[in-house]
Amino acid sequence: MRSSAVDKGLRVGVIFGIIIVTMFLIGFTVTGAGLVGKIFGVSSSYSAPPSLIFFSIFMVLLGVWAGASAAARPLTEEDSLRRALTAGFMAGASAGFISAIVGLIFGTLAGKGIDPRTYLPSVSPDSIRTFLFNQPVPLGSLLMFGLLTVSGVGAAFVSHFLRNNNALKTGLHNTSAAAWNLIGSERVSRVTKNPYARYAALLVFAAILIILPRTWGGYWNYVFGTVGIYIILGLGLNIITGWAGQLVIGYVAFFAVGAYTFALLTAPEPHNLVLNFWVALVLGVLAAGISGLLIGLPILNLRGDYLAIVTLGLAEIIRILLKSDLMTAYTNGPRGIRDIGGPTLLGQSFISDVDFMYLIILAVLVVTFIATRLQNSRTGKAWYAINLDETVARATGINAFVSKLLALSLSAAIAGFAGVLFASRNQFTGPDDHVLMVSINVICLVIVGGIGNIPGIFLGAFALKGLPEILRETESYRLLIFGVLLVLMMRLRPEGFLPAKRPALEKSAASKAVGEEV
Amino acid sequence: MDKSQSTSIQARLRLERYIRTFVGIVISLFLLWRVYNVIVIQQNFGADTWVRFGLSGLILGGMYALIAIGYTLVYGIMFMINFAHGEVMMLGASGGFFTFEILRFIPAPSAASPDLNFLNAHPFISVLLAFLVGILISALAGFFLEKIAYGPLRKAPRLILLITAIGASIFLQNLAMLLFGPQRKNVVNPDILTRGTGWILKVSGNDVLISYTGVFSLVLSALLMTGLYILVQRTKLGRAMRAVAQDKNTASLMGVDVDDVVSKTFIISGALAGAAGVMWSIHMGLVNHYTGFLPGIKAFTAAVMGGIGNIPGAMLGGMVLGIIEAIGPAALGIDFQLKDVIAFSILVLVLIVRPSGILGEKLSEEKL
Repeated sequence: MRSSAVDKGLRVGVIFGIIIVTMFLIGFTVTGAGLVGKIFGVSSSYSAPPSLIFFSIFMVLLGVWAGASAAARPLTEEDSLRRALTAGFMAGASAGFISAIVGLIFGTLAGKGIDPRTYLPSVSPDSIRTFLFNQPVPLGSLLMFGLLTVSGVGAAFVSHFLRNNNALKTGLHNTSAAAWNLIGSERVSRVTKNPYARYAALLVFAAILIILPRTWGGYWNYVFGTVGIYIILGLGLNIITGWAGQLVIGYVAFFAVGAYTFALLTAPEPHNLVLNFWVALVLGVLAAGISGLLIGLPILNLRGDYLAIVTLGLAEIIRILLKSDLMTAYTNGPRGIRDIGGPTLLGQSFISDVDFMYLIILAVLVVTFIATRLQNSRTGKAWYAINLDETVARATGINAFVSKLLALSLSAAIAGFAGVLFASRNQFTGPDDHVLMVSINVICLVIVGGIGNIPGIFLGAFALKGLPEILRETESYRLLIFGVLLVLMMRLRPEGFLPAKRPALEKSAASKAVGEEV
Repeated sequence: MDKSQSTSIQARLRLERYIRTFVGIVISLFLLWRVYNVIVIQQNFGADTWVRFGLSGLILGGMYALIAIGYTLVYGIMFMINFAHGEVMMLGASGGFFTFEILRFIPAPSAASPDLNFLNAHPFISVLLAFLVGILISALAGFFLEKIAYGPLRKAPRLILLITAIGASIFLQNLAMLLFGPQRKNVVNPDILTRGTGWILKVSGNDVLISYTGVFSLVLSALLMTGLYILVQRTKLGRAMRAVAQDKNTASLMGVDVDDVVSKTFIISGALAGAAGVMWSIHMGLVNHYTGFLPGIKAFTAAVMGGIGNIPGAMLGGMVLGIIEAIGPAALGIDFQLKDVIAFSILVLVLIVRPSGILGEKLSEEKL
């Protein structure tokens, strides 16, 4: 059916056209070209205009994506080359048409000497010129149209060819099957099941953990220290959100309570208490846990999303109070607290970045251990039951309120722990360390990694806090990407990249038990 | 369940209610004492100041009410907190701002004044256009939010819907920041609606300004709220909306197109938020990507305060919250920096003392 191919091509093309235009308007076309350049090993500088070749490659990639997704998965049984090409052409051409029109408009405006940056600050003259391939306006827009159309058709052709080439398909199938066989083969599993091999792996892992902080220097210690703190935060949030199923948006509130309690107890200003690190650490964790308990008491026996909003409100209250003049005498106000104490042991202080990295690694291990034990405990199972169906959980004799309260205060205490580490490592903390973005980062990393799954949280923390350090160009687009990621993940893969395996495990355990009884 | 157990649960619930009431009474007594102290004993402010605060509270309350209705409508139908609703309002505010900016560049010379622009030559048309554009943008945003983000998740757990809404909110906020830049933009009104002009009222010997923009916003929000009330209570669509809010399955058995009603609900709530956004840009005069965040959360507070899912409740809650926020810092004798703290504290207090809100019916625990 031709008309369905045209329809689909048009729809995909319009979506891609809008995406390309939005990218242009927020300046991402330049950044994207820079990223492509980075893949080829050419680092771009912020001042120089982006290379045309990389920009063209970026646009071709988008066109290929549009053409391939238009040609993929036919709606009807018929899967002819003609249909694929029509869809690819329509997608590429309509995306190209929209982009070309926008290029034409901005090119003409720039030619008349109107600078759009008054209202659209990201549209620089450089980026307009690149968008038109450094050509005169009509030729540039035509080039844009042509490039996207050609890449759309090309992608459709290639994807059709790949899909219908049987030799290739069986070849691919065989290769992947062979690879899977190798992974699942007896020999490999014997190695992974062997206790000595496991000990050896653990030993190597421990050696890496000990050696790495000494070798990779202060910057990476800082980056991975942050990753470690976010892993702790993620593990904490996972208890209340991943296991007990209650969303907490203002998780940063507990982080702030921990950090500020610790800071006020160990800093010479404003109270000059200067307590021992470990005492202050325990007090900070306790304060955060108690604040979680107090917030949970009135809210947790209401169903629904109130906890999310109330914690959000709490986070904002705490931030505003910390900043306000009212509290300046107690918390130093917007200036924050300086000279926060570092860890000491037996009268010796360990505040070098390497030592602190060790402390963070130790803390991550401890929290991971606690979380693992909790997950398999009776309480962990109660949380899981509440998450699945609270009414049924109550009917089986679980006190849902107490369970949720416990989950919230544990989460809060762990957040407080992370806050203590954060404040102590930076030796400074102020209201701007405790903005809502911290909680949103944590929610994102828990969800992207795999809600309810501990390895998933590690993955999420490395991906969301470690990767942006490597891809520095995308810094300003990070939150935008987080937002898209959250929406897309919820729609396409709500269980995250490393989904929790729990339901399957429970089922198999149950069936095993039944089998034994029979 | 055997009888002794059920009575013990009843006793526990009663105890909990007693505790909630007791805490409520203690807190209200403390607040009353504080207000009495400030107003009657200290007398820092004259009557004119209180009138000024009250007026600005009413105007603010009107806008909160319009946004709160959006939360309540969506919550009533989908049981979800549309976290991106504040961002929808921000898009409307930006729409109003850009309409004014474009109209300002269109020359409309007349014999009397040769360098007149369209904005001042036809102020009424300009304002109307700004509202149309703002409402259109916000309604479209609401529509597409539902179609792209929430619609496919209709049967998903609420946690997933809420996370989607947060994602949409972050996305819209940052998109607006990247598109239009992070700095606050000054909204230039038509001359007849210049901020700081208005009627002068004499209260206890002092001038109190009743600004044109404020009166305009207040009247318009009252009109829109009346319109919405009529829509919900008197029209076929309104009846369908109420039916879907009560029971989706039964409503669809009675021939109501549930998808269509949900979609239209998002359009209506978006349109109201858009109108509030344009009012915000006209009256407050500063717009950036962050404009929608705090009003959004406060309007949610208002919706909870009035009883979530209850439309008159949202209106009342919005007005009450606006007035409390305007009068509160002065009446409690605290710093004006802390006015946002008051709104959030109200949210926490309402949930502690009366989770069903002022006008909320006694909801079963299921629905809360």
